Amino acid sequence: MHSEYPPTLPAEYADIEFENNAQRMPLVLCLDTSSSMAGAPIQALNTALAEWTRELHDDVSLSYSVEVAVVTFGGQSVGAWRGPHLLDPRTPTSPFIPAHAFQAPQLTAAGVTLMTEALELSMHIVAARKAELRASGLQYYRPQVCLVTDGLPTDPTGHLTDSWQRLIPVLAEEQRSRRFRLYAIGVGGITDRGEQVLQAFAPKFNARLQGFPFRELLQMMSASANAEQKGAGDEVFEKIFSQFKTQRPAWEA
Amino acid sequence: MTVPSWRIHGLSVEGYRHRRQGLPCQDACGYVVTSSVAVLAVADGAGSRPRSEEGSRLAVNLAAEHFARRAGAAVDVPPGETVHELLRDALQDVSDDFLDRTGSDAPDFATTLTVVVLAPGWLGHLTVGDGFVVVRAGTEDGERQFHLLPQAAAVSEYSNETVFLTSRDATRWTRTECLSDHGIDGVLLSTDGLAQAMLNRSASGAPSPNASFADAVFRSLDTAPDDADGKLAALLRSDRLTALNADDKTLLRAVRPSRG
Repeated sequence: MHSEYPPTLPAEYADIEFENNAQRMPLVLCLDTSSSMAGAPIQALNTALAEWTRELHDDVSLSYSVEVAVVTFGGQSVGAWRGPHLLDPRTPTSPFIPAHAFQAPQLTAAGVTLMTEALELSMHIVAARKAELRASGLQYYRPQVCLVTDGLPTDPTGHLTDSWQRLIPVLAEEQRSRRFRLYAIGVGGITDRGEQVLQAFAPKFNARLQGFPFRELLQMMSASANAEQKGAGDEVFEKIFSQFKTQRPAWEA
Repeated sequence: MTVPSWRIHGLSVEGYRHRRQGLPCQDACGYVVTSSVAVLAVADGAGSRPRSEEGSRLAVNLAAEHFARRAGAAVDVPPGETVHELLRDALQDVSDDFLDRTGSDAPDFATTLTVVVLAPGWLGHLTVGDGFVVVRAGTEDGERQFHLLPQAAAVSEYSNETVFLTSRDATRWTRTECLSDHGIDGVLLSTDGLAQAMLNRSASGAPSPNASFADAVFRSLDTAPDDADGKLAALLRSDRLTALNADDKTLLRAVRPSRG
């Protein structure tokens, strides 16, 4: 990695060799790409992802520690993306990419809303990535998972389903064990019922936002990643989130 | 006995994140040399606490005072259990004094503390939290050898969570060491801001010193460089180190120029 850095070191320190031992911060964007997101919303999401990617590359403190994975639920299934590439479900390849090398996927919207399955996939890839990091002796921060949706969970045929309720005790236990921090964000025309689902998934960190403020949402994820690296207490995350919910820029407060 | 002559130098610099936000450096380091011992201390104020930069400074000052007094009164003790007790007693003095001065606001001053005592017959090491110490001792196949002293046990799965001087059960997580190796001619203390740069990780999980890093920072002090502050600060503020960890950084080092 050293060739990518400007030669800012004094001569007597110039021959130090570094490994990329940065403490890792897995971050999963679990995104609704079902048919209700078609048109302007998915375009806004793609634009915001591209912009956030540039910001991440420029952020010296996040670019070597944050690792991004994208999970989508739309079409007929759920998918994990490694940067711009949708992974074959059978591949053992991890979808996580260091932020400095992350490239945003170009998402399209269609199909059903397999929200439950997407969250299950998110939990699975987080656990697998932690195991990989441990196996290579690398330290990590508490991962973040951000669910974004404008709808309600459906089954593979597109019919509303209550199967999401199976996740409630699982997520409660995962949060109690602090395995990751879950954010559940409703956008666009999400209904009261949709909001209730998000409240059940993430009792503390759920929100229902006007329109499609993806840019602010992604900036909030960066602000939380920064807070995590600082070792901030829960109250800091709650403050960042509550300011985000009221759509004021918490990271500038 | 007199304490052998050690050359000591170090500093703390604010990390990228604090620099960008205009916040002060919450790390501190300091040392004291008496006629019989040298005491070196580094501290990392908790990022989440409002007065932690005062806490780390206070911890370092109190450590210099209490460890020097306790160790100065016991320079002739043999290495071993007595030294461990001395270190723990000195920590108790520091904690009592720290709490006296900060009162009920103590948690606002939360900080880690890592101390090394260089006495003529032994090296004592005590750490509360995630600071660490690397020593230089001996040569193998012409290469200088570096050793990471045992660190305090991790308190959680996540590397950014640690124990502070003000934590209720701090003594339970305190680690002490006593070494009596006359081959030790370099000692460096650091806070966790340098853990990724200074320590290499392996599949077995046991970290080991990054020899190229340790060698460079000891060697530069061996030769008593001009502008040691400026050069060390440039290293600690460099993008290469920031990419590995954007936290405040501290490096306090002592070398014993060619023993005669």
